Amino acid sequence: MFPGIDGFRWTVDHIVFLSLFFAVALTILATVVSAAWRTVRDFRTHRAIEFCWQSGFSELPQSDRRCRHELAGRVISRTCDNAFDCRHCSQYSQFAVLPASGTAHDLGLNYPEDRCYHRGHTWVKAEQDGTVTVGLDPLADHLLGSPDAVRMPDLGSEIELNQTAWRMSKNGNEIRVRAPLEGTVTGVGGPKQGWYLKMHPRLDPHDPATLRHLLRGAELHGWLTHELERLQLQLRPSQAAPSLADGGVLLPDLMDALPDADWDTVLADTFLEL
Amino acid sequence: MSARYGMVIDVDRCTGCGACMVACSAENNVPALPQATARTGLTPLLVRTVANRAQGAARREAFIPIMCMHCEHETPCVSVCPQQAVEVDKATGIVMQMPQRCLGCRYCMTACPYHARYFNWWDPAWPAGMEKSLNPGVAVRMRGVVEKCNLCHARLHSAKEKAAAAGKREIDPADYIPACVEACPTAAIRFGNLSDRNDPVSQEANSPEAFRLLARLGTEPKVYYKSKEAWVRALAQSSSGRSSEPGSESQPAEVQHG
Amino acid sequence: MASATVADSRVADGKWIARGAERTSLPRFLLWLSPWAVVLAAGVYAAGLCLYYGLNQTNMDNRFAFGLWIFLDLGMIALGAGAFFTGFLVYILKRAELRPILNTAVVVGFICYSGAVAILMIDVGQPLRAWFTFWHPNTHSMLTEVTFCISCYLLVLCLEYIPLLLRNRQLRKLPSFLVFEHQLHKLVPVLAGVGALLSFFHQGSLGGLYGVLRGRPFAFRQGIFIWPSTFFLFILSAIASGPSFLMLVTAAVEKLTGKRLVPVELFRRLGFISGVLLGIYVAAKSIDTLIWINFTSPAVGFAPWQYYMYKPFGTPILFAEIVLFGLLPAFLLTFRPTAERRGWLLSAAALACGGVLLNRFILTVQTLALPTLSFDEFLQYTPSWQEVASFTGVIAYGVIIYSLSYRYLPMFAPAKGEITDVSRH
Repeated sequence: MFPGIDGFRWTVDHIVFLSLFFAVALTILATVVSAAWRTVRDFRTHRAIEFCWQSGFSELPQSDRRCRHELAGRVISRTCDNAFDCRHCSQYSQFAVLPASGTAHDLGLNYPEDRCYHRGHTWVKAEQDGTVTVGLDPLADHLLGSPDAVRMPDLGSEIELNQTAWRMSKNGNEIRVRAPLEGTVTGVGGPKQGWYLKMHPRLDPHDPATLRHLLRGAELHGWLTHELERLQLQLRPSQAAPSLADGGVLLPDLMDALPDADWDTVLADTFLEL
Repeated sequence: MSARYGMVIDVDRCTGCGACMVACSAENNVPALPQATARTGLTPLLVRTVANRAQGAARREAFIPIMCMHCEHETPCVSVCPQQAVEVDKATGIVMQMPQRCLGCRYCMTACPYHARYFNWWDPAWPAGMEKSLNPGVAVRMRGVVEKCNLCHARLHSAKEKAAAAGKREIDPADYIPACVEACPTAAIRFGNLSDRNDPVSQEANSPEAFRLLARLGTEPKVYYKSKEAWVRALAQSSSGRSSEPGSESQPAEVQHG
Repeated sequence: MASATVADSRVADGKWIARGAERTSLPRFLLWLSPWAVVLAAGVYAAGLCLYYGLNQTNMDNRFAFGLWIFLDLGMIALGAGAFFTGFLVYILKRAELRPILNTAVVVGFICYSGAVAILMIDVGQPLRAWFTFWHPNTHSMLTEVTFCISCYLLVLCLEYIPLLLRNRQLRKLPSFLVFEHQLHKLVPVLAGVGALLSFFHQGSLGGLYGVLRGRPFAFRQGIFIWPSTFFLFILSAIASGPSFLMLVTAAVEKLTGKRLVPVELFRRLGFISGVLLGIYVAAKSIDTLIWINFTSPAVGFAPWQYYMYKPFGTPILFAEIVLFGLLPAFLLTFRPTAERRGWLLSAAALACGGVLLNRFILTVQTLALPTLSFDEFLQYTPSWQEVASFTGVIAYGVIIYSLSYRYLPMFAPAKGEITDVSRH
């Protein structure tokens, strides 16, 4: 192995054998070291965070990855291939100009126009003073009702887009609420009027590009219809066939009303966990 | 000047007394293990009983001592040992086994066509008191390593020390005699330097009556056998004693372990 | 309104199981594992006896220096060849249709190689001296080559297994694991290439172990340069049986879990690859046998018929090895009417694997049983219970590892970005 051993003589065999062996060993070592070093580098350049979201996104079932333009009726069918990152989507503008379609009917949920909505069921409202408020949307609120525990982030902490805004737990299920925007936490509030965060966003909230990735207007309706269909399928009694939506109103405190449902799957699909 | 130590064994003179085996065991500190069988025992020198295929009055038996043949050409055990625990000593032609480097993988045992290698299946043990009679010049081997005849290399070592003490460069051949050669009452086993043309053993090895076992394998063993009996000479080939008809239930020449 | 399927939320260790995956309840799973655990425990005990008391616990002796364990090693390594070969096909030759079987291949390979190394450590007389081979390598010895390559390859398999482990649902939650897995996964083609190179050499060298034995004309073969023909024959037979073995493992898992885990087409494809390679192997082996019978063996004075004089190793065994377990499965795996029927396909795959095991057995055991000196006997050998228990212990180890991997890791999940349906595996 090493030429320092007693009686070792360099022969052609030794040269060939040892060089092959060391070449292989070094390649293997280089692979591991390279992977480790790239991992460290990803963390240092904050790419790790993006990557965690992209990895989680790609594990979602296809039905949860519909493009917003499909939800708005601008295209017949399209699956998002960019991790919902409309800000950096090369085809966003090409689809955005198409006319939206789809008939609206009352879903029994109040989604005000003054805010934009994240696919993880949070809303973002740009305030006059340059901060934003982030809260849980009505559908999530109806599901959770009053949570058993809430862990809000510390004031002054940084949160990243699509990473954890805050955590809640209910009936033994852990819920991670995904952040719709990146920024610094300046205030937390709740439970009256729901739990919410106040944030100083990293990007200018009044720039349309900043909130481009959030849903609004015609998209909302398509999205919520799809979400309610999904909930209906997932929460129905197992013996029953799927039934048509009949305009019924979503009950509040669903987790308490239907304790036997498979909440693990329902919450994962709702809050975009894998 | 390098030597090529070898042996000539006169099969016609071997009486099968087994003194060589006893001497070998004593010299090499081979343990006396009651639980060992014919197939698991340690016998660096083993006398095998062979017979011709005749019955009744025509039946003949002979004794063939088998030990490491110290093969010279592409020595099978040397080329296969994964950690070079075996090597051919260029100065003497002896195939040296290093038990302290041996891993116990037994690949050399698979490679040896003469079955001259033995594995220490047990830790060595002697009846109480017998350990006092061990040879201090030879290391005892632990279990899990392979060993074999090394032409009593410790005696070569003593001969060299003696020559060095006397200020000589070459050993006196009379000082280096392996234990089996010394013990044989009929001088059937003879030992010498095959490179030395004046050595009588070398001359005997070159005589037409001498033969080697499995010579066609091409390993160039340095242990020669001698016999005037044709049936004994035929034993040296691999197919001697087997029926020439394929598929028949023939038995090879009878064997008993000495 | 309880759900009828046992979704992961119902299972006691559900949070370790991929979301949406259906697994049996924890008590039933433990019930499945328990007999295997008992067998494994017996194996560990037997191995412990051998390590403590020495190899006299086995029935090996000075004539049968290699026994059941070496046969097991060679057999497992041959069957585990599916790991490197599938990796080679998927990453180097870009045959993406084999992707679904890749995880199984890695786990099976890991099991086979780690089991083989474990048995080797008990088989040698002085396991603590194992590092001597690395310190004093004998470049002429096939066994040195085997040692180096298998050690490196086991390392490669561990590195290929780690990304799969890190995809466990709970382990993924740690961002450092998630990102490391991703980065390592990007480099898997490099590992696959290195693995293929290493495997080529060590599968071959295992054949070379016997082919170079000048002192055993039954095993000795001529070849090309320093490599006897058995070098190439072993590689061929290993890559021929690897896909078949993977097929059998996957079919067994599908049967036990009651789910269709891979596309049906994949089985046929594996069978076809196996069949074609097996056909090439049979042709090469036949030519090699003819050369051996007519030239190699007689040249050193050993007439070939004398090898087959002893029951039960008569000429039927040669016929069985080449025709019954070689030509027949090669035909069945490639002939469309049989290849399309699952029963025939799996039987043929079993025959193919059996053929490889038979070949390894012949070279390991028959070689040593046969006499070399004219006054030798043909000897028999029966393994001791310690040897058998260690053997079965390794098999149990394999089943346990695979069961745990199936339960907690996404073995059969579709690749990222692939179209999936709502139900996840």
